[in-house]
Amino acid sequence: MKFKTSLMAVIALGVMAIAGQASAGPSCGMNTGQAATGKPIVIGGIYGNGAPGDWSSSTDSAAAYFACVNANGGINGRPIEYHVENDEWNPEAAARAAAKLVNDDKAVALVGNGSFIEMAVNAKTYADAGIMSMASACAISECFESSNIVSTNQGPLPSNLGAAQYAQEELGAKNVACIGLNIPDNGIWSCQAVIDFMTKRGGTGSMAMLNPGAPDVNSALLEAVSSGADTILMNLPAGLALAVLKAAQEQDLRDAYNWIAPTPLYDLSVPAAIGDYWNGKVYVNAELAPISVNGPDAQNWIAVLDAFGKPDDPRDTFGQAGYLSAEFFVKAALAMNPEDLDDRAKVTEAIKGIVGYRSDLMCGPYYVGDADFHMPNHAGYMVQIIDGGFKIVRDCYEFDSDYFNRHIELEKKLGLR
Amino acid sequence: MSKRALVNWLIYVVLMGGVLAWLGWGKPLAVQGLFITAGLAVGSLYALGGIGMVVLYRASGVLNFSSGAAGAAGAFSAWQVVQWGWPAPVSWSVCILVALVLTLIYGRFIAPHLAWRETVVKAVATLGFALIILGMVTFLWIDDPRSMDLPTDGVSVTILGLKVTGTRLLAFAASLLISLGIFIFLGRTQIGLQMRAVANDRDLSALLGVPILKVETIAWGISGVLAGFSGLMFANLIRLEPVVITFMVIPSIAAALAGRLDRLALVLVGGLSMGVIESMLTLSPLLKGVRPIAPFVIAALVLLYYQRGARLTFGGRD
Amino acid sequence: MDRNLFHVTPRGWAGLGLAAFCFAVLPAVVGSYWLSILTSAACFTMAASGVAFMYARLGMVSLTQVGLMGIGGWVALRLNYAFAFPFEVNLVLAALATMICGWVLALPALRMRGLYLALVTLMAAGGLEIIFSTFQFPNGGSGFWGVKIGSADPFRGPALAPGPAAYLRYVVVMVTLGFLFIEGHRRLFPGRAWALIRRSEAAAMAAGVNVTLYKTWAFGIAGLLAGASGTLLAGSLGLLDDGTFRSPESIMIFALSVVGGAQYWLGAVVAAVLYRVLPGLLNQWGVNADLAFVIFGAGLLHAVITAPDGIAGQIWGGIGRLMSRRKGGAE
Repeated sequence: MKFKTSLMAVIALGVMAIAGQASAGPSCGMNTGQAATGKPIVIGGIYGNGAPGDWSSSTDSAAAYFACVNANGGINGRPIEYHVENDEWNPEAAARAAAKLVNDDKAVALVGNGSFIEMAVNAKTYADAGIMSMASACAISECFESSNIVSTNQGPLPSNLGAAQYAQEELGAKNVACIGLNIPDNGIWSCQAVIDFMTKRGGTGSMAMLNPGAPDVNSALLEAVSSGADTILMNLPAGLALAVLKAAQEQDLRDAYNWIAPTPLYDLSVPAAIGDYWNGKVYVNAELAPISVNGPDAQNWIAVLDAFGKPDDPRDTFGQAGYLSAEFFVKAALAMNPEDLDDRAKVTEAIKGIVGYRSDLMCGPYYVGDADFHMPNHAGYMVQIIDGGFKIVRDCYEFDSDYFNRHIELEKKLGLR
Repeated sequence: MSKRALVNWLIYVVLMGGVLAWLGWGKPLAVQGLFITAGLAVGSLYALGGIGMVVLYRASGVLNFSSGAAGAAGAFSAWQVVQWGWPAPVSWSVCILVALVLTLIYGRFIAPHLAWRETVVKAVATLGFALIILGMVTFLWIDDPRSMDLPTDGVSVTILGLKVTGTRLLAFAASLLISLGIFIFLGRTQIGLQMRAVANDRDLSALLGVPILKVETIAWGISGVLAGFSGLMFANLIRLEPVVITFMVIPSIAAALAGRLDRLALVLVGGLSMGVIESMLTLSPLLKGVRPIAPFVIAALVLLYYQRGARLTFGGRD
Repeated sequence: MDRNLFHVTPRGWAGLGLAAFCFAVLPAVVGSYWLSILTSAACFTMAASGVAFMYARLGMVSLTQVGLMGIGGWVALRLNYAFAFPFEVNLVLAALATMICGWVLALPALRMRGLYLALVTLMAAGGLEIIFSTFQFPNGGSGFWGVKIGSADPFRGPALAPGPAAYLRYVVVMVTLGFLFIEGHRRLFPGRAWALIRRSEAAAMAAGVNVTLYKTWAFGIAGLLAGASGTLLAGSLGLLDDGTFRSPESIMIFALSVVGGAQYWLGAVVAAVLYRVLPGLLNQWGVNADLAFVIFGAGLLHAVITAPDGIAGQIWGGIGRLMSRRKGGAE
């Protein structure tokens, strides 16, 4: 895999610069400037907005991109009708959302899904219906180990590995304690991979599991501390990770450990929320290009959101992932015969045929392929939280783990390596 | 103190000591201290929630499931006020004020419509109010990582080689002082006397001329202030997330049950013990996964212990 | 023995009519979205009927019903992955296992009543919530808990009901059987014992009714129905998630049963409709999920305040008045 090192040049341009470039106008699909008027193509999307959190930024960005495509000639003249459903973090709601989109609305593909639960409930539904889901914000193993789901984001496992690898190589980590959620297909799945990685590199690791129903993170932190670790990996949603940092601040544990985290902490509100105490001490793995890289796709994403999104649509990693999924889908659909766009089987075939799409937002190429597992994105950046923002400390790097052997195998077969 | 109460306290001390010794066996004292301090802070919050609940329940017969939600609304308002650049003390007053107003709205305008229903129905109806508040809070403040800082976070004292922040001390001291204050208030003041009268027999007190409405309003007010204060502490010590703060009421009910919805001192001791045992369970390799279950198990055991030998009483009140 | 055992009242006919409608017409006319919603609503109808029955017949409040559903679902999933039993066998075994859990829960009930009893059951619900979120639901792994890392193995649904429409019919039949089971009890000796206990425990004891036995029995029935409904829910989704079985949900299903009208069969249906169909409708109308919560909470409060007999009571009352007016007009 070749990495785009040239993008490193543009660092810390800031939001002002991005906003300035937004006025250049977004670029979408066929770029005709003419609204599409043909027969609509139905695409579905499922997000989770409910009690534990709001994961709608990926479908928000995808919706904005599709609106932009529709205003620019659509898919060879045919507009996209994007149907979005909320799974409310509830398996029943997730099942009914998929039933509606797949069976009632007759969507030909799903794009931009962001959820903690939908993929586990619906993986079989998608496989049975022969529909592809180009997800964007996935956190559980089903997203990456199913035949009909491919996600643009990495999920916790690669991002954890990336953070642990950086800590092992650069920060001298020998014993990593992974604090994760006690959910088999999320926390345990992704923390175990870190322990395996550390063992392979001659170190050790342990996991301290946090019950999702437990209010207090302090006990889990103390458990991690008492494991004898030198590095603490906060494999948690941002809110919980902040609580861990706060508890650690109380005990003044900052200098005794390395503090690392996967992507969820790469959120623009985090540097302000963690406060001065942690300045320069927390390292985060970013699975898509950090905002400061600001390549053409990153700028276009902001421009699309400014022109076609709602003002409060989040500008975060999952938004980027939703935008990318939508862009890749449109690219694949444009290459199809417009007549075939109502045929789910042909659309699925076209998506499975995606090989080697590139974007400055992603380190490697995007591909799908016909397999029972999909994880095109398994390389990332490492950033440091410093001076109220993020600083890139390691450019695109691939994560070293046996978990990716079969992916690399597939990439070789597809001619990507 | 009666002999029976003395025996109960003795049993408590022995059991608590036994459990702590069992969980902490072979661990260094410093590690044990770490977990006990962490547990005392959470336990104080359980106790504060439980005390607010008991004060209100005794005076009005309503077990209020919405106090957590009121606290969450207060904490988020306080966060917003800080974002607008107002000084921190204003934000604390806003927190308590919002929780107080929400609680009083329910107490004055909604609860009277249900006064004649069964206690359980009165209790579950408050869940409807909790959902309204929770829905509004999650609607107004979209999901985003937030945190709430207090000046006491920066202050710390070292007890037995262990660093304890001011906020933890504050929560602990507040739970002690508030229990004591309410105890004195109920015992020494006119309103307190009336409150106890209403708690004892509502209809009879009304006949005797106790101003029921005033007494109830004060009780709702106390419960609202406590909800706001615990919401603020919770947002700082645990997490600033609406659902988490809202459903803190369930373990608070466990603490209230430990005092049979009646005895403030027992609620305090019960809440603190629940927090400490929950935290100490982390040291048990077998039980660390299920540690949040501690309040529920303890409350159920305490209730069963109280009821031992008791038979169903015929008729009468709940 | 009892001549009235098979007598069908007008309300009974209405119930059978509704069941027939849900069986024959609904699955044929609604789309996938509503099939999915109606199936969960039907499952929760069965669970609500258990809580409502305990409350209406014995004045006992259980705030554990959704937790018990979780136990039923857990047992059914565990059996599904451990053995090759057909779905129906798992259903029966899970219901029986949950009935036993109901009996265990009844132990404190023999010494407590009213709010205390309700809160003890709430503590049980809180405990179950933690257990479910710690150990999760079986997904085909080995060991006692049956949880493996990664994706779940397939779940065997009933052979009689392939596909969502057939499954809704299947659940409707099961729910109807559940109602008939309760009604049968009410009309036989246990029903008379419960009526006596509800009136006065002292009188019941004096009349030689074994109060302990019949209270425990009622908990067992509520558990049985919860277990069956949890299994049916697992059957419709193929997996379960701890988020469904949090303790506030148990409080909610009780509150909705009161709002629906605990003494009528229609009350349980109304409760489940409010619990599952109303949010589905609000979602369909594009109401923000957070605001849907607000509407739901306000509706709950409003119904508790304005409908003391529950919504079902108002419906039957309205129909009753309509009928008598008609009769009056004809004469």
